[in-house]
Amino acid sequence: MATVAQLPVERARAPRPRAGLRRRLGADWHLGYLFVLPMAIMVIALVAYPFCYAAYLSLTRKYVGVPPVFVGFENYVRLAYDGFFRRAVWNSFVFTFASVGVKLVLGMVMALVLTSRIRYSLFTGLLLIPWVAPTVVSALNFLWIFDASLGVLNYLLVKVFRILPQGVGWLSEAGTAMASVIFVNVWRGFPFFGISFLAGLKAIPGELYEAASVDGANIVQRFRHVTLPSLRNIIIVVMLLSTIWTFNDFAIVYILTKGGPGGATQVLPVFTYEMAFGAQRLGEAIAVALYMLPALAMVIIVLSRYMRRSHAR
Amino acid sequence: MKREAIERLQTTVAYVVLGFLLLLVLFPFYWMTITSFKTEDQMRSLVSMFWPAPFVVENYTQLLTKTDFAIWYRNSAAVAISSTLVATAIGTIGAYALARLRFLGRAFLSSATLITYLVPPSILFIPLYAQIRTMGLADSLAGLIAAYPSFTVPFVTWLLMGYFGSIPEELEEAAMIDGATRFGAFRRIILPLAAPGVLAAGLFAFTQAWNEFLYALVFISDVKQRTLPVGLSTFITGDVYGWGYLMAGAVLTTLPVIVVYTYLQRYMVEGLTAGSVKG
Repeated sequence: MATVAQLPVERARAPRPRAGLRRRLGADWHLGYLFVLPMAIMVIALVAYPFCYAAYLSLTRKYVGVPPVFVGFENYVRLAYDGFFRRAVWNSFVFTFASVGVKLVLGMVMALVLTSRIRYSLFTGLLLIPWVAPTVVSALNFLWIFDASLGVLNYLLVKVFRILPQGVGWLSEAGTAMASVIFVNVWRGFPFFGISFLAGLKAIPGELYEAASVDGANIVQRFRHVTLPSLRNIIIVVMLLSTIWTFNDFAIVYILTKGGPGGATQVLPVFTYEMAFGAQRLGEAIAVALYMLPALAMVIIVLSRYMRRSHAR
Repeated sequence: MKREAIERLQTTVAYVVLGFLLLLVLFPFYWMTITSFKTEDQMRSLVSMFWPAPFVVENYTQLLTKTDFAIWYRNSAAVAISSTLVATAIGTIGAYALARLRFLGRAFLSSATLITYLVPPSILFIPLYAQIRTMGLADSLAGLIAAYPSFTVPFVTWLLMGYFGSIPEELEEAAMIDGATRFGAFRRIILPLAAPGVLAAGLFAFTQAWNEFLYALVFISDVKQRTLPVGLSTFITGDVYGWGYLMAGAVLTTLPVIVVYTYLQRYMVEGLTAGSVKG
């Protein structure tokens, strides 16, 4: 009884300053800040701080083990006139756009095939394996498959199907190296497109197709006017995500060609790595990595809008 | 009649295309596996191409006895498991706070998490390497354990924000009306309900850490401290000799991921897609 009588008095007295905090910081600010603190520390220490440090280093002349010397935008200006850098930029764009384009088509084919009449989730599971397998393992598999003298691809084309008179050095000839690394990137990445589109397709109400059929739409028209518009957001998100990942893909090119032959497959991540740990020019290497930041930032901002929207749904 | 014919044609086309995709996807794994059971002679003289005869296991025994593979395996397991545990714990509470709790800065932090998740390692690896070196963790597994949460934490957080968001808020409210604190409601009601999602997110993080290549390549130079992807990649030395045990190593490196994946498959196939998942 006594406690009940005391309650209103205490409530009126004690929480007043805290109520102000509550209003300003939000109802759950105690637990909220406590719970995000480790994450915030981690993100600041492992991403934000290194990133700012990187931006600073790119404005310096920095070699391993020697303190940096501030040189302003010298690295960026020098790179702009560097033929190797320009070639790596061009190659990166070719690699990225070709890969993402083919993945889009193959992913759509995969999704359509899996929704049409085949209902076995076993097939879906099998088709996803390249996406979960270690990239390094896949790259090594293809290094072996593409091998000029003992690889199975040449064996099939020359000895079994007799399409080619002699084997091709898929990764060692300038004419085929880029197509080969693009192929491996597509092989690894298209299942992600497929599985994402598949989920999108399942969410399209069947009535839409029925209505289109009643109106006399054929299969191509139904795809163009029902399927594509319904998948619009998923297509945008998946393509932007894949653009970021493909543009920054290091392992496949590094293992298959190391950027060769003669720079034919040199892409920016490998170029950065070699400048940093081969030539030991850290400042310039970071400038290489940051050169694409404005473009990357734009992609990230647009993408994060779309992703938050679909998350909130 | 005509309609039936069209449908049958569609089904046939679908099966043919599916067969082609399966061949494309599975052939490299088939090739990896049979190569690992071939002798060097078989490879060199292009005989018994599509099924090894004789079928030998010496590549595996060589791999485990004559190379550092077993050490790398242990290293990879240690790094992947510890960094995953850290990331899952941090990501789970962070995601709960961002999905459910009301506090100033929550929207900003949610965006920051997403953006962090999207920043690629190829931009971060040099400064992160510098950072790890100043912390005295270069060339050690601890350096990798410290660095991997840079991609696993944002990933787990982002994934679980969606998961927590899908649990009805009324459950917590009911518990709190019954006298539970916020924390109590989280621990007793929400966490058990979210357990499958937390497990899935953790396993995804595990496969990412297990597969990671760039940081491991850059941070580690000591042969005995390598992880599997980097160790395997050092087997390419240009000579034919290595392919047998290289592929044996590839098989053993892929196995844990495939095991984990058979559990995760339904999460990937249902729902956790474009917006929320990176494999």
